[in-house]
Amino acid sequence: MELKLILAGIGGQGVVFATKVLSQAAMGRGERVMASENHGMSQRGGSVMSHVKIGGSEAPLIRRGTADALVAFDRVEAMRSLPFVRAGGSVYVNSVNGLDPAVMARLTELGIGVFSVEADACARELGAPAVTNLVVLGFAAAHSGLGLSVDDLKNSPKRNHSYRQRGLRVRP
Amino acid sequence: MTQLLLGNDAIALGMVQSGCRVMTAYPGTPSSEILAGVVKFKKKLGREIYTEWSASEKVAFEVALAASWSGLRAATAMKQVGLNVAADPLFSAAYTGVVGGFVIVPCDDPGPMSSQTEQDSRLMALTAKVPVFDPSTPAEALAMTQAAFELSERHCLPVILRPTTRVCHAVQSVDVPTAPAAAPNGHNAGFKKDPQRWAATPVFRLKLHNELNAKLADIEAEFEASPLNYSVNQPSAISHQPLGIIASGVVFTTAQEALAELGAEAPILKIGTPFPLPRKRAMEFIAQFERVLVLEEPDACIELQIPDRTRVNGRLDGTVPNAGELSPEIVMSVLAEALDRAGLPVPPPPDDAALSAIVQSLKIAPRRPRLCPGCSHRSAMFTMKRTFGPNAIYPGDIGCYSLGTNLRAIDTFVDMGAAVTMATGFYQAGRITGDKRPIVALIGDSTFIHSGIVPLANAVHTGARFVLLVLDNHTTAMTGTQPTPANDYTAEGDIATKISIPDIVRACGVKFVAVADPYDQEPFKALLEEAQAFTRAPEGGLAVIIADRPCVLYDDSPIEANPIPVVVTEDCDGCRYCVEAFECPALVLRADKSRVDIDYRICVECGQCIDACYKGFIVPQMSVVSTQ
Repeated sequence: MELKLILAGIGGQGVVFATKVLSQAAMGRGERVMASENHGMSQRGGSVMSHVKIGGSEAPLIRRGTADALVAFDRVEAMRSLPFVRAGGSVYVNSVNGLDPAVMARLTELGIGVFSVEADACARELGAPAVTNLVVLGFAAAHSGLGLSVDDLKNSPKRNHSYRQRGLRVRP
Repeated sequence: MTQLLLGNDAIALGMVQSGCRVMTAYPGTPSSEILAGVVKFKKKLGREIYTEWSASEKVAFEVALAASWSGLRAATAMKQVGLNVAADPLFSAAYTGVVGGFVIVPCDDPGPMSSQTEQDSRLMALTAKVPVFDPSTPAEALAMTQAAFELSERHCLPVILRPTTRVCHAVQSVDVPTAPAAAPNGHNAGFKKDPQRWAATPVFRLKLHNELNAKLADIEAEFEASPLNYSVNQPSAISHQPLGIIASGVVFTTAQEALAELGAEAPILKIGTPFPLPRKRAMEFIAQFERVLVLEEPDACIELQIPDRTRVNGRLDGTVPNAGELSPEIVMSVLAEALDRAGLPVPPPPDDAALSAIVQSLKIAPRRPRLCPGCSHRSAMFTMKRTFGPNAIYPGDIGCYSLGTNLRAIDTFVDMGAAVTMATGFYQAGRITGDKRPIVALIGDSTFIHSGIVPLANAVHTGARFVLLVLDNHTTAMTGTQPTPANDYTAEGDIATKISIPDIVRACGVKFVAVADPYDQEPFKALLEEAQAFTRAPEGGLAVIIADRPCVLYDDSPIEANPIPVVVTEDCDGCRYCVEAFECPALVLRADKSRVDIDYRICVECGQCIDACYKGFIVPQMSVVSTQ
């Protein structure tokens, strides 16, 4: 079965890195992967989104309204990327207070579940504020939102990749 | 073995596996990872390949071309507009031909996402008369790189491999064929003199043109039977059907997916070799249908070459939008309309707007790209604006500092090097119109070396007067910190001879040359004023200031050595001046707009914002501690 995932965040939050972790983990399970990354201008603090398809398709982009899950490292970027989520899909978001109440009724109507995690706080507790992205990714996996288990993610060869912090030094 | 490959890495691996011996490039999105990939894979596979971050695309092209004329397989990569810079040798090399396989990889940018145009390099190939391959996926890009070298060598002609952003920056699980133990080495016989070819005068060029035309005819015949062009969903019996599709590049995969979603089985002719188009094959395909829809990016190359377009729809007749990326949403709507027009039953296309309206109603502000915290360009441009105000003319150039438009510090950008030439033109036009506004041009170090030197010599020679600010951050920052000739190391980290930008400027005849750190804002301001005065002095002329400070992404050691943590005092009144005029991402206006806070997660402690609050409410942390 094909799984379509959107990863969203801000330039510097490691969207591209999380895409690689996820893709490697899926490949570790013998799945075919096709993903699309943002580079260039979008990396200078702009919105960054990547599209990941696990299990078949060779088309790099996901059409609006067809993503099984949205994994967002930033609340505003989650809101911006919502149109990609299909009815019955899921949203995993780094947020202390879920999504804007204005959209919640419509999401419920469409059967879209919203799961928030205070990933910034979690990452700070771990003493590694830069791993917010991996906290949200792990959170989504634990909710079976990625078609991959937390162990699959742990087995990703990218797991020990050092996070590039220059220019984005994070202080607790 | 299955490997997760970035499209650009797939192309790089294809080059290394194909026995490419010389690979050159000038960085530019979406092409920049190809040369880095070649460096990575040559080390992994133990191949000897000369690599070079060249000073420009034209330089890169010609260095690789000479290697090919020496019998070696060679390749060069650039972004699509880079091929404009290398167009001169491209057109000439099509006539002369090549010896070792020669592959040019200009990466197109439909959208455009990171470019000044969304031009189609396949049309450039058509105009220059060189064959072009158009991969749909990283896996196909890998296979086509190999095929491109072979075709080039077989016909002694340069070959273009043209990926688009969505191939370059796609990541795919690719079944990588095992590399041949010994890579093919081209002819490998050294340069053989043949003046009638390699130094052909116009008389011989006519002969070469006829030779080129003959090569293209042979290649078109070859492409008629190429496995890179194939049909899918083709019915077993030839019959007259309502709708067929011709597609190439990424749109081929998008169209396949959309058709599957619609439950429609329209046959698709996938074209992997858009020029020269296998016209016989295309016309045989078209003959089976009432209507044929052509889907390609970013412009019409295949459609243009179809001899009889009576039954063909595409970008040329407006059936497909004639600008912009063909997103899955657009492809779905174009296909649904085409199926409907053809009288085929179309299920209502799946709703992709269920959430769009409500999200639009929230009016979420776009998060535009901004200069990084600690960026020296911000300091230079902020001081420049404080010195010359909103009325001066600020010709800009290509690089991170084009984000200076946010600070209203850039009035124009055209192409690489145009800061200097546009400033020259504005000066001469101003002499005619009586416009005496100061002109301050901005250009980066990499861009200056790429295309600023010749314009500077021209400006000095013709007596143009303006201030030229060379924003020297010691690297090609926007594309991922690649080295320039002003660095002392190569693409592979080996020692290289460093050339001096101030020496070049002096050698161009500039009499006012100063190097200064833009972090020292007050002295920098005084220097800018002095430079401007020089442009107006009777014995004066053009003035150049080199703003010397490394990019924070490239080298943050000067900040590490002297960190200046700051705080915003309680007096801050939320006037927004710093947020708008200085625009550091670490300066954040509170949601209730009452004051500005520092986002300490991203602040790099450069201390540059202290001068950005003219009211004195941003202060060094130490001073607060000491007063307590």
